[in-house]
Amino acid sequence: MTATLPPAAPVPTARWLLEPQVGLCACAPSGRRRKGTYVTRTIDAAAGVVRAALFAEDAAAQPGLLQRLDARVKLVTLLGLLVAVSLVQQIPVLVVAYAATLVLAVLSKLPLGAFVRRVWLAIPLFTGIVVLPATLNLITKGHVVVPLGSWFGHRVGMTAPGLTGAARIVLRVATSVSVAVLLTTTTRWTRLLAALRALLVPRMFVLVLGVAYRYLFHLLGSVTDMYEARRARTVGAEDGRSGRAFVAASAGALFGKSHQLAEEVHQAMVARGYVGDARTLSAFRLRALDVAWIAVAVVAAGALVGLDRGL
Amino acid sequence: MPSEPLLEVHDLHYAYLGRFPALAGVSLTVEAGEKLALLGANGCGKSTLLKVLDGLLFPDAGTYRAFGAEITETGLEDEQRNRGFRSRIGFIFQNSDAQVFSPTVREEVAFGPLTMGLDAAEVEARVHDTLAMLNIAPLAERAPYQLSGGEKKRVAIASVLAMNPEVLLFDEPTAALDPRTQGWLIELIVELNAAGKTIVLATHDLDTLPLLADRAVVFGEDHRLAATGPPDELLADHDLLLITNLALRRR
Amino acid sequence: MHIPDGYLSPATCAGLGAGMVPAWWAAGRRVRRVVTSRSVPLLALGSAFCFVVMMFNVPVPNGTTAHAAGGVLVAILLGPWAAVIAVSTALLIQALFFGDGGVLAYGANCFNLALVMPMVGYGTYRLAAGRSALTSRRRAVAAGVGGYVGINAGALCVAIELGLQPTLFHDAQGAPLYAPFHLSQTIPAVLGAHLLVAGVVELALTVGVLGYLQRANQPVLRLNPAHARLRHRPAAVDAEPEPASGQGARGGAAGPVRPGRGGGTGWRWALIGLAVMVLLTPLGLLAPGTAFGESSPRQLDLAAYHLDAVPHGLQRYAGFWHGALFDGYGFAGARHPTVAYLVSALVGTLVIGGVVLGLSALVGPRQRRRHGDAAGHPDDAADVDLRAAAGRVQDSGHPGGAPDVDLRAAADRVENSAHDAPAEAPDRDAAAAVPA
Repeated sequence: MTATLPPAAPVPTARWLLEPQVGLCACAPSGRRRKGTYVTRTIDAAAGVVRAALFAEDAAAQPGLLQRLDARVKLVTLLGLLVAVSLVQQIPVLVVAYAATLVLAVLSKLPLGAFVRRVWLAIPLFTGIVVLPATLNLITKGHVVVPLGSWFGHRVGMTAPGLTGAARIVLRVATSVSVAVLLTTTTRWTRLLAALRALLVPRMFVLVLGVAYRYLFHLLGSVTDMYEARRARTVGAEDGRSGRAFVAASAGALFGKSHQLAEEVHQAMVARGYVGDARTLSAFRLRALDVAWIAVAVVAAGALVGLDRGL
Repeated sequence: MPSEPLLEVHDLHYAYLGRFPALAGVSLTVEAGEKLALLGANGCGKSTLLKVLDGLLFPDAGTYRAFGAEITETGLEDEQRNRGFRSRIGFIFQNSDAQVFSPTVREEVAFGPLTMGLDAAEVEARVHDTLAMLNIAPLAERAPYQLSGGEKKRVAIASVLAMNPEVLLFDEPTAALDPRTQGWLIELIVELNAAGKTIVLATHDLDTLPLLADRAVVFGEDHRLAATGPPDELLADHDLLLITNLALRRR
Repeated sequence: MHIPDGYLSPATCAGLGAGMVPAWWAAGRRVRRVVTSRSVPLLALGSAFCFVVMMFNVPVPNGTTAHAAGGVLVAILLGPWAAVIAVSTALLIQALFFGDGGVLAYGANCFNLALVMPMVGYGTYRLAAGRSALTSRRRAVAAGVGGYVGINAGALCVAIELGLQPTLFHDAQGAPLYAPFHLSQTIPAVLGAHLLVAGVVELALTVGVLGYLQRANQPVLRLNPAHARLRHRPAAVDAEPEPASGQGARGGAAGPVRPGRGGGTGWRWALIGLAVMVLLTPLGLLAPGTAFGESSPRQLDLAAYHLDAVPHGLQRYAGFWHGALFDGYGFAGARHPTVAYLVSALVGTLVIGGVVLGLSALVGPRQRRRHGDAAGHPDDAADVDLRAAAGRVQDSGHPGGAPDVDLRAAADRVENSAHDAPAEAPDRDAAAAVPA
């Protein structure tokens, strides 16, 4: 508050501030490094979100098959395919469905390696680990095909239904995530927003979604700044208590910042005539390719379910 | 009413949270076609006055008349009057990040014209022209988080110009901009003024003042106007600048 | 706690999604009625905040870190209905824009995280906070308890949804079609992890943030209509101008009085229901535990030990991880399945009953006519209060020591709209918040 300070009265700068200072401690590597503190992990998570957004932005700019489709058509058809995948029970059919997502990724000029990594590292691999115990006869009853020994007098082993169930869920999760990633990475998210609007999602909700997404990156930047500053100033190990206090304070400060921004954004909207209902430009054109794709998707979904029931 | 000024405030009082005064009896007129600068140190009431002029804050006491009608909170609840007022006066905020809230640059620029009720074709045309005029057509599909500070400022200005307002309010227009963008913005403001737009801007940047304004008012720390006059005269009055915290005491 | 696609049957997803539609509708209506033109930026920034808070790693005592969920925090800050929309929006961004799965399961995730968690947590918070002053310690602790109960209620729903899958959906050979674990396994596993770790993290974060805002930024606490009329300090009459008076006058002009039935009994019932639920929540862990005949300390040790092994980036799914490990040690197929199912069903019914009662209670008081009792029924006249509070609150973020100093600084900041270098200021804030 410069305004209330007396104008003149020069204050001498503190001496210590003007003198160079050697480190407060011997800063040689002590060999004890705490890998991946909460600070680093939060920064990494924030960077991960931005990276994912940029990956999607690049992928959406490629001249691939899915990129050329109308966003509404893509959203609805991929949702339909997701439902079909969730209805399929036979493992071979799930394998076919998963292979189809890979074909779509190639046709959409996505880097196949990155696509597969993105999908599998997200959830399916993890799912595989989680459902492994469910293959045991302790959880899923049935004929033991892989005996593992005995435990407290009970024979323990993997059962046929257990293995089937595990394979099924892993494949289903992988295929579902692949479809979701296909949608995400081949569609500019502004088109996705427009598609949601066209699909009768209430306008207010879509407006909230758009503004939220826009400021998400702004807040991520603030968090990264706060945590970088924290990391730069944390000397030595930090106890959990002060760490938690920092997290709470940064979340609190972030909320304050969010609210301040909300106020300013509100003024900016009102200044341009906003009174609680917004119109948007949306130009959608259905082309031959879209119509053809709808046909393909309907046939594919039908074939998946039909094949599944027929087998 | 031929003699009435474009904007006129009389004896404005405003306090934040009812406790922290920002305006304490400010009276001011803005004539059509002029470039008026509000000068003052941080916290003296410039931004508050701009927000009152833009109908975003309403004074605790005092009156505000714009375009021949009194502006009040209840008055602006009328949709027709709100639309008329908002389309005639535009505000470029200091914080472009808050002003640019839409998913893409195109939607940002279209927001104002759309809320004004223009039809889609006309909005498209205006967006196209405005983007071209400010040299940001290639950014049309970009998201705001991918823009630099200078680019965001251009988008913010475009989003206001697309509504073609008569009066443009700028809050600290050149703050936090690189010198090149600053230069561009000063030129733009001068051009817009030459094209007939009335300009009111808040600043504490004395260097650019003579370029940006043909009249200036100086805010004191008491949240009142301390002086008014041509920029050259005010800049020459070193005592005035000292007591208003706009200049440092020289040895 | 997010359920990815593939774990739940389409029928479960559809059912829970359909269940969310009226909740969204009611939330949209209520929020829009409260703050017409302000609602969009407020909800949008609330959603963005929620999304970012879900990425916060919180250090937990055994040296590792865990994620917070933040749903109850958002409910306390913005009000429960706004939280429904804000959390749903954050989840939609995660599902649709970042392809984190959960597109078909979106409705289920919203039910658990955007409806049950904030509503139950918020109800508990209101119950525990009573009429205490806005800045009281009790209120901050109540927020933490709300966070703890809320996340566990959400986790219980997750466990029930997952645990029902193998019973309801399996093929002729008995192989599960979707998630393979039974209720008797999912409830102790998921709930155990949440009672011991995630709940504690949620508690720590919620208490911490409330405490921080009480010290540093009281105006934003008044964004929640229920907070708007609370006093700042237990016995403060002098320092702060009584906010209710001015608003009351405006409220008389602008806030239409809605006729309605008496909501008092509903509120009381909701409190009782919630209290019962709070008491019963730990039973979710204990009851199936007895069905296994295994000592529970063993489970706890496991949890503590294996938490360290959670791969980076997957802590979010800690619940499932624990599920796998617990079950891997053979807390085997329900020897007393009837007991387990009965208890599970009871607990599930209680959760849903609590939610319904909580919802009706939160709607109830609003529909009563306003009368003079200022502190007793804070939901009254919420519209005007929120509008006024939001209008008057001018900043945030950069706290000084005493609230007055902060307000002054806030007003000044609004005036000059200076934006401090974010790298420096918040850290200073944080440092100030660390207890010496």
